[in-house]
Amino acid sequence: MIGGISGIGSLQFKPALDGADAGVSPAQGGAASIGGSSFADLLNQAASPTLGTLQNAQQGSMQALKGDADTRQVVDAVMSAQQALQTAVAIRDKVVSAYLEISRMGI
Amino acid sequence: MEPVTLFDLAAKQSQWLAVRQSTIAGNIANANTPGYVANDVESFDKVLDRTAVSMRTTEAGHLGGNTVNAGFRIKPQENDGVVMPSKNTVVLENELMKAGEVRRSFELNTAIVKAFHSMMMMAVKG
Amino acid sequence: MDALTAALKVAASGMGVQSERLRVVSENLANAQSTGTAPGSDPYRRKTISFVSRLDQATGGSLVEVNSIARDPADFPVEFQPGNEAADEKGYVKMPNVNVLIEMADMTEANRSYEANLQVIKQARDLISMTIDLMRNQS
Repeated sequence: MIGGISGIGSLQFKPALDGADAGVSPAQGGAASIGGSSFADLLNQAASPTLGTLQNAQQGSMQALKGDADTRQVVDAVMSAQQALQTAVAIRDKVVSAYLEISRMGI
Repeated sequence: MEPVTLFDLAAKQSQWLAVRQSTIAGNIANANTPGYVANDVESFDKVLDRTAVSMRTTEAGHLGGNTVNAGFRIKPQENDGVVMPSKNTVVLENELMKAGEVRRSFELNTAIVKAFHSMMMMAVKG
Repeated sequence: MDALTAALKVAASGMGVQSERLRVVSENLANAQSTGTAPGSDPYRRKTISFVSRLDQATGGSLVEVNSIARDPADFPVEFQPGNEAADEKGYVKMPNVNVLIEMADMTEANRSYEANLQVIKQARDLISMTIDLMRNQS
């Protein structure tokens, strides 16, 4: 289940990001040189903790269901996972719509 | 069936908690019945260990969702020395404490299921 | 019938028997001074109630029922009341074998058990409600 969620969340970024990167790199070149990393890398950094957070939450919840886990820790882990997932989904949606918009632009 | 996903485990625990609740109800209702011995359901860890080994059904009706007490074993509690002259072993305070534990675990269970369900829906939507 | 509904049924049976017990206690208390009418006759004899547990085959729950309402076989205490219509030739009247303090203690116990059963019903009802709530509020 976590694999399914994370697949949508982080891994599917890759094609969209590469496509967007090719389209916007001239404009982003300035920002990239300031940041020291490409736009794609920035987005990846924002999205990659998602998988770890989600697995952490799943582990914690399974422990809690078996009866021996600290309630507060489990709740914190699940809330972090929800935040991370919401962020990842928002980023995914924005990136997809940006890609579609770019692909509609006249060359 | 061995619980593999989070939702399976949550479903199993929720069944176990419901059986524990009905056992506690039986103890409290029979708190004044002469000769009644207080029962408790086997621990959840034992249940998980048991279901990890695959079971074969030798008789139809032994396993499955419609069995009495969902297949969990109920045995008399260990007696910590409190026995009434009427041979009744129910201690009301302990039963109420156990009921509180059941409630807390059940709330955690439904909250976890709700949270992960909403996460799945969130990821799938749009 | 699932386990939570079985818990409701069991707790309801518990409340039922505790109410019966309270009824018996109140009868005893009300008749604590009820002597006989003819000289030397017996007064009110204290009632006792006993429970028995019954295993419900369908749900596996241990219901509880009233086994019997019997009479306390203890001897009647006698008091010296020559003017009483039930007094024998020496002026002694047989009084009911009801001890008010024991009945009050029994009443407190019955209340406590009743409350505990009520707690179980509330909790079982809340757990069922929580389960149904899982489906609700799906945005």
